[in-house]
Amino acid sequence: MESEHIVGRFDKDLTKIKNDILKMGALVNAQIKGATDALMELDTAEVDRLVATDRKINGMAKKVHNRAERLIALRQPMALDLREALLAIKIAGELERIGDHAKSTAKRVRKLSDNANAGAVLNSVGEMSAKVQAMLTDVLLAYRDSNIELAAEIRDRDPEVDDLNKSIFAGAITAIGENSADAETLVHVIILARNFERVGDHVVNMSRQVHHIVTGKDLKASA
Amino acid sequence: MSEPIIAARDVDVFYAEKQALFGVDLDIAAKQVTSLIGPSGCGKSTFLRAINRMNDLIPICRFSGSLKIDGQDVYDPAVDVVALRAQVGMVFQKPNPFPKSIRENVAYGLKIHKMTTSKSELDDRIETSLKSAGLWDEVADRLDEPGNGLSGGQQQRLCIARTIAVEPRVVLMDEPCSALDPIATAVIEELIDELRQDFTIVIVTHSMQQAARISQRTAFFHLGKLVEVGDTDAVFTNPREERTQNYITGRIG
Repeated sequence: MESEHIVGRFDKDLTKIKNDILKMGALVNAQIKGATDALMELDTAEVDRLVATDRKINGMAKKVHNRAERLIALRQPMALDLREALLAIKIAGELERIGDHAKSTAKRVRKLSDNANAGAVLNSVGEMSAKVQAMLTDVLLAYRDSNIELAAEIRDRDPEVDDLNKSIFAGAITAIGENSADAETLVHVIILARNFERVGDHVVNMSRQVHHIVTGKDLKASA
Repeated sequence: MSEPIIAARDVDVFYAEKQALFGVDLDIAAKQVTSLIGPSGCGKSTFLRAINRMNDLIPICRFSGSLKIDGQDVYDPAVDVVALRAQVGMVFQKPNPFPKSIRENVAYGLKIHKMTTSKSELDDRIETSLKSAGLWDEVADRLDEPGNGLSGGQQQRLCIARTIAVEPRVVLMDEPCSALDPIATAVIEELIDELRQDFTIVIVTHSMQQAARISQRTAFFHLGKLVEVGDTDAVFTNPREERTQNYITGRIG
């Protein structure tokens, strides 16, 4: 735990940014769950609500950006504080992109709702979703607690998500070859799997950003 | 770090019974700007003033350890302190031009050290020094006016011209911008960046942003000890020591 700044407002400003990110992260995770539930149940009634919530998420990202920009301008942070402010902008950007994938997933519910057989092939997509939701929950904890061990463990879990994506892709291509009548549905499934694979990538980026904040070392730059 | 010109080893400084510096080991590279930072009373100015023995002027001040410039022990009893201070010039917090003309201010050191042999050579050195200090264009047509009639920023540049006129190896600066407005400060900072081509500069500053902007190496002092020294980029982005991190992020006074 870092000691407090002499200027108390500085701590308050940094805490506000952190809390905004955590609130945003919780909402984004709820969006992934909501979009996945709607997908599993082919519930088109939920789509509009999910799309509207995405606009709120975009607004939250903008708020984090503005707070960080103001803090940099007024407080001229150094070292750890500067990384907290700069990487908050990046983390908010990752969350905003995850929100976009949740929205894209939700919109696809309408396209799949006419297909009574879609439910069965969506199960493995649901499995991917559960994995990335757990990863997102943990990366937010790692961010909250400056826990670089947890952040590293999250990166180790991403290959499972990638493997599921590859497996869904291969299965869908084989199924299209066997019965082209299901091709449209299966292409949607491929895109959905790709959405969740990208969510995993954004979570991995966030875990690297947590590492960068805490240690000052940019894993992406040193890779 | 490139080859050091100043090497301090196990430097202790006392003011009577009070110890101000504790076993400082510090190498300072040639033709770079090294910033000394730290809270008030940390010993940074004491260390700066130890380099050209300005502390000798304080009767209760006592030095122990070793401080060498180019291998020459600064505290060797045989050292001529006046000559040392020509080699290690100093610019102070408050501009302190002599109550003389602009020309005489710059000529002063050249004359007492008998560094020129003719008036034309003296005039050349005055012009070169004022140009190096970025002041020539502003004063070329009024060299015989009083130096203390200039603005604060110009006076400080006059003091820099006076210091560099005698071609020192090292220029020490003790918070040279603290009495200046942001524009005059920017001019001095730009000047320091140019001067490092020819001089080794050691600067004490309370402005961490200034240290970050102008120096290549930064040394952080706390409670009389050198806590950390390193490349300025590293010290201000990812310091090794927690005390440094706390200071530069405003967590200790």
